[in-house]
Amino acid sequence: MTIAPIRKKELNSSMRHSAAAWPTGALRYLIAATFTGFCLFPFYIIVTTALKTETAIFAWPPAWKFQPTLQSFHNALFVFGGRSVVFYLINSIVISAVSTLLAVVLGAMAAYGFARFSFAGKRQLAFWILSTRFAPPVAFIVPFYLMVQKVGLLDSHVALIIIYTGMNLSLVFWILQGFFAEIPIEIEEAALVDGYSRLQIFWRVAVPLVRPGIVSTAILSAVFSWNEFLYATVLTQSRAATLPVYLAGFSNSMGIAWGEYMAVGTIAVLPILCFSFVLQRHLVRGLSFGAVK
Amino acid sequence: MSWTEAIRLFALVQVKPETIKLAAERRRATWMLIGPALVVLLALNVFPTVYALYISAHYWLLAEPQPPRFAGLSNYQDLFSDERFLNAVLVSLRFVGLAVGIELLVGFGLAFVFNTQMRGMTILRKITLLPSLVMPLVVGLVWFYMLNENFGVVNWIWVMLGGTRVPFLTQGTLALLSIVAADVWQWTPFVMLVFFAALQALPEYVYEAARIDGLSGSQIFFRVTLPLLRPAILIVLIIRAVDALRSLELVFMMTRGGPAGDTEVLPWYLYTTGFMSLDLGYAAAMAVLMLALVTVLSQLLVRQLKSREATV
Repeated sequence: MTIAPIRKKELNSSMRHSAAAWPTGALRYLIAATFTGFCLFPFYIIVTTALKTETAIFAWPPAWKFQPTLQSFHNALFVFGGRSVVFYLINSIVISAVSTLLAVVLGAMAAYGFARFSFAGKRQLAFWILSTRFAPPVAFIVPFYLMVQKVGLLDSHVALIIIYTGMNLSLVFWILQGFFAEIPIEIEEAALVDGYSRLQIFWRVAVPLVRPGIVSTAILSAVFSWNEFLYATVLTQSRAATLPVYLAGFSNSMGIAWGEYMAVGTIAVLPILCFSFVLQRHLVRGLSFGAVK
Repeated sequence: MSWTEAIRLFALVQVKPETIKLAAERRRATWMLIGPALVVLLALNVFPTVYALYISAHYWLLAEPQPPRFAGLSNYQDLFSDERFLNAVLVSLRFVGLAVGIELLVGFGLAFVFNTQMRGMTILRKITLLPSLVMPLVVGLVWFYMLNENFGVVNWIWVMLGGTRVPFLTQGTLALLSIVAADVWQWTPFVMLVFFAALQALPEYVYEAARIDGLSGSQIFFRVTLPLLRPAILIVLIIRAVDALRSLELVFMMTRGGPAGDTEVLPWYLYTTGFMSLDLGYAAAMAVLMLALVTVLSQLLVRQLKSREATV
């Protein structure tokens, strides 16, 4: 019971320790604020360019003051390239949501199995699952193209959903394994005694206890599916094309329509940013495969 | 003794058939839980790897009506005398080396800047997270716009500082550096946050011991902090290297491999070989080599994680 407060105190004092040396007060703020500004500036460019008229977009010097217009958003929604951006938005939402659901369900089951049961070769298998995350999509794109073509699923939602599920599985597995291992085993033993089956314990006892972990891995894997470009552009054409495919197609068909581009960019980025503060705490853990907690 | 413990003790003295039944039930539950994930990974990781090997041993042209012919190792032989391939390897090494090098150096320094309890730092740190979530294609798009020679804001700043307009995206070295800049913008904050978390986890008693031993500030940094951060440095280095190696979106948006192949990274050459030249066998041979390289890197990471697990 006393362990937690002591560790917290340790953390704080180590923070103060390294704070003592370098850099000092005002300089520290200056560096931190400059870096934050550098991180934010491109977002400002995306949103303002989406709101500019064509003249303002090509202005030199850049038009810092301008009359905002929704023309580019209007074009992206109703005029551009034959199909509304909404069509691609829906594809992106459906494919991200379903593949995330599958990855979380399968990944959580496997993570629980690994955290609670022991069997021969378990550690080896766990690290193998981790290493599947490293496979570069571009190395799998040729076999995937032929596989998907052979089963007649080119330009289908199903193909992307299955592939994204596999892509995110190792991330979900690896993160949730850590969360499940942190649950005190007594709770589950009590449920076992109460006559729950193993699978009931997983679903009704363990899963609710790791809800924060599930929420953040779900958001992370939704982000990865949402942002994925290569598989989407090779395996879909029109019917199941997602936002990145739409974005990539602009420069071919219409020259460079910066305003519309940036409007679609805004639509593609905003939902992700809304989620980001929710998963802040676990994001670094997730992006580094749980190496950093 | 709680009642659950009492029941557990009771279970220990249970008769044998019960125990055997329980063991069988446990085994069934284990495989029901991990089986589906393993099947998915076999189908989507092991199978495509084997299939890529198979394709790479064939002359496999997507556009031609006749079936693929066995080619043995000749796709691989061709690769090693293909100057475009060798160039792509070099460009990839340059890109990964520069981008990851800058990200690690800058991220490392910034982690110390943010490692403080001064007011407002937490909110700044949270904001810096945003770039790592942005669709890479959009990162390429906005940097493409900002670096434009005629109306880009980076050029405007440069001219304000007294320079003349720079063709960032059409001159060889600058084009590569432009892509590096976009990658650095997206990933330096992530590297910083990993190092920040690692700094936060350093135990205070080590520093007390170092002070008692009379180590100076720089001695503490080089002999205590740096060695303790070594695992974090290695982990983030490998993760970033593997992810930078696969990056294709920035090149797609900003340069399409140009000018004259100066930004033609390996993924871009593989992608154009497979889906513009439609030479799947040749592209698969490149894919196999990439997989081999990535496997080596991921094994390094696994070893690092295992040794960490052992010490924790």
